[in-house]
Amino acid sequence: MENKDEELKNVNNVPAEEAGAEEKPTENKKSVLTSLKGWVNRKLGKDKDKSHFISAKDSRRIQKENFKIMREYEARKRRKNVPEEEYLDEMRDPNNVVEFEDLNTWFFTSAGVVKAVNGVTFSIPQGATVGVVGESGCGKSVTSLSLMQLVAAPTGQVIEGSKIRFRSTVNKKDENGEFIPIYEYETDEEGNQILDEEGNPKIKTQVKKDKKGNEVKGKDGQPIIEKVQAKDVNGIPLYETEEKTYNVAKMPTEQMRTIRGREITMIFQEPMTSLNPVFTIGNQLDETVLLHTPGATKESAKARTFEILRLVGIIPENVYERYPHELSGGMRQRVMIAMALVCHPKLIIADEPTTALDVTIQAQILDLLRDIKDKINGSIMLITHDLGVIAEMADIVVVMYAGRIIEMGTAKEIFDNPMHPYTIGLQKSKPAVNKKVDRLYSIPGAVPNPINMPHHCYFKDRCDRRVGKCNGDYPCMIDVSPTHKVACHLYYGEENK
Amino acid sequence: MINYIIKRLLLSIFILFAVSILLYILIRLIPQNFVEQKFASQIAQGVIKQEDIDRMLKLYGLADSIPKGYMKWLSNVFHGDLGMSFNFGMPVQEIIAKDMWISFGFSFVATILQFIIAIPLGIHSATHQYGASDYAVTIFTMMGISLPTFFLASLLLSVFSKSLGWFPYQGLVSSKIFEDSFAGKVDQFFDMAWHLILPIVTLVILSIGGLMRHTRTNMLEVLNADYIRTARAKGCSEKTVIYKHAFRNTMIPVVTMLAGILPGLFSGAMITEEVFAIPGIGRKAYKATTVGDIPFIMAYNMFLSILTIIGTLLSDLAYALVDPRVKITK
Repeated sequence: MENKDEELKNVNNVPAEEAGAEEKPTENKKSVLTSLKGWVNRKLGKDKDKSHFISAKDSRRIQKENFKIMREYEARKRRKNVPEEEYLDEMRDPNNVVEFEDLNTWFFTSAGVVKAVNGVTFSIPQGATVGVVGESGCGKSVTSLSLMQLVAAPTGQVIEGSKIRFRSTVNKKDENGEFIPIYEYETDEEGNQILDEEGNPKIKTQVKKDKKGNEVKGKDGQPIIEKVQAKDVNGIPLYETEEKTYNVAKMPTEQMRTIRGREITMIFQEPMTSLNPVFTIGNQLDETVLLHTPGATKESAKARTFEILRLVGIIPENVYERYPHELSGGMRQRVMIAMALVCHPKLIIADEPTTALDVTIQAQILDLLRDIKDKINGSIMLITHDLGVIAEMADIVVVMYAGRIIEMGTAKEIFDNPMHPYTIGLQKSKPAVNKKVDRLYSIPGAVPNPINMPHHCYFKDRCDRRVGKCNGDYPCMIDVSPTHKVACHLYYGEENK
Repeated sequence: MINYIIKRLLLSIFILFAVSILLYILIRLIPQNFVEQKFASQIAQGVIKQEDIDRMLKLYGLADSIPKGYMKWLSNVFHGDLGMSFNFGMPVQEIIAKDMWISFGFSFVATILQFIIAIPLGIHSATHQYGASDYAVTIFTMMGISLPTFFLASLLLSVFSKSLGWFPYQGLVSSKIFEDSFAGKVDQFFDMAWHLILPIVTLVILSIGGLMRHTRTNMLEVLNADYIRTARAKGCSEKTVIYKHAFRNTMIPVVTMLAGILPGLFSGAMITEEVFAIPGIGRKAYKATTVGDIPFIMAYNMFLSILTIIGTLLSDLAYALVDPRVKITK
């Protein structure tokens, strides 16, 4: 252990000497005198970093400025009847469901601006599982909440210029702004479509009936004939749809609500508290269906709920009338997953879905997530700090640190060839069964204070491989392979090899 | 459920028994009794002799020792006799039965108004936390809590009765004769309502603050809950989030307040009734307490104890109604 510490010191010394003036050379050459001085200073409270404290006057000034900015952003989100063109966009790659481009989500606190997400760019392809890893407070959850527009307002705001493109499927509207129904066509006994005189498929018609099943008669006393609208297995009427790309960052909340819970859904970390304790499971699931499916009735919503509950491995009859507190944690997480699936979403955000569950249930839930992803052909954005979960689930891995992406690539690339010292550290600090170690490795130091971040690499002070260049500007993303990217000075020039 | 209620009611007999013992001891321990207080000046002047006083004490039952007096009171109660009020010279039952409804009437209106105003205000200031309206509501209601009853009542009287002359100073009815017809009855009702506006306003302003703060705090706590985030993530509108998902949960702790409301409805508002000279039960109780009218104080406080017990039972039952996690068994 001692040898290792010395090694560490030596490694730390090299860049310190190279860096020259800015680094304090005394830091690592601890003599008796300096340690004594340190002790005295600590006792006197002198070594406190003054940069962490701000005066009341400064705080007031910051708050005043923040208030102005926050109000502006909130007003923009609260606007009504915004023309759609304002937030329409085009996907860079049509295979993607979501594209984050230079996402900035900042928190305007009274101590200063916290850049929780600071220029994040990545995309989620259709049908893929993207794992976002990082330690607590690195901005992984805020990234997903930005996509949902659920960042804690008014302090948290997605900054202008950020782009979150989402490929949305919406019901087509006619000139009157009404949804265009899909009609059923008449078929003969063999299932072929019957054509009318002009050669078009014939639309099925029926006599219009009121709720009691009586025929509705027109003014002339003749029964009214109406076209039959196509319905899915649960009796929910179908409408024509089209695809549109929205920039979620610019969308007003009013429009965002039609995407939330229908096309992008979320599974939260705490199944114990994520369900409303005063409503039954059935009520809460039906609510989602009724909210997002035009023409759904209570019966058809219940049928859909039953179907989805069966899909997540729950016997619906046992659970539909139950309250959340009557179910176990694993069951509740299954209900949460059911709630996320009930409108056939394109993207499921799973925010640490297994953290609060015990290990055996964890495996079941992960299996379930993998299963359903294939069944619904959706994508999953999996947020976790558990590398084991990522290794098992993800196709693409994004590693975040202090609000920025520091490395991303396919799961194979990240696990077989981790490049950023932080990623390497993360993997070293994961307990492994087949290795014998005295102590589990932990990355030295802590995440830097998120207010007034320096311009150099945020990981520099904790890094055991830092070089002189690390004191320069923040490193930009380097393409190591078409899919593998890393932001570290160590690999500058490597892409040319 | 029925078993539970029966069990609670049986238990409450013991509670009432203990309460009555405590009450009786406390009242008897007051240094000056009704007789001595009433004839204090005559004794000082020497008009009445000590023998007369002793005879009077015996007559009023004040000469007995505390246990003996209590047993006497208790046996009378079991015979359905709450005793004769010393001060008002009427059977206690009759006074309570008559005056209770006046107090109940205006307390009831005040309570309803209090709920109608305080709960929406609490929700509003919770959803607009730290906004201008939140501060305004908070300051207004805090002022309401802080004002002493008699001060606010006199302030209202001074402004609306004296300066503006909109409302009468005191009493329940105007000193005029109402016709003995339907129109006359309606006229009388509106006359009473006119007299009761200021007392009701006083009560409402004083009590809004507590309920509003209660609602606001609970709402803020509930709005931070995970299931509210789930509701938003589902795509619920802000209205549904607040009035469906948050409201039911906010109301769970507010139900506790039911326990305090029921006795409050019947007990009358002592100070308010005194200031506005409303012949309600609160005013009677105030007078009875100051003169040491033992039968009245005992009956009044036992009445409140019964109401408190019923109120607590009702709020426990209401808990099970609003919160599915609470199950009442046995």
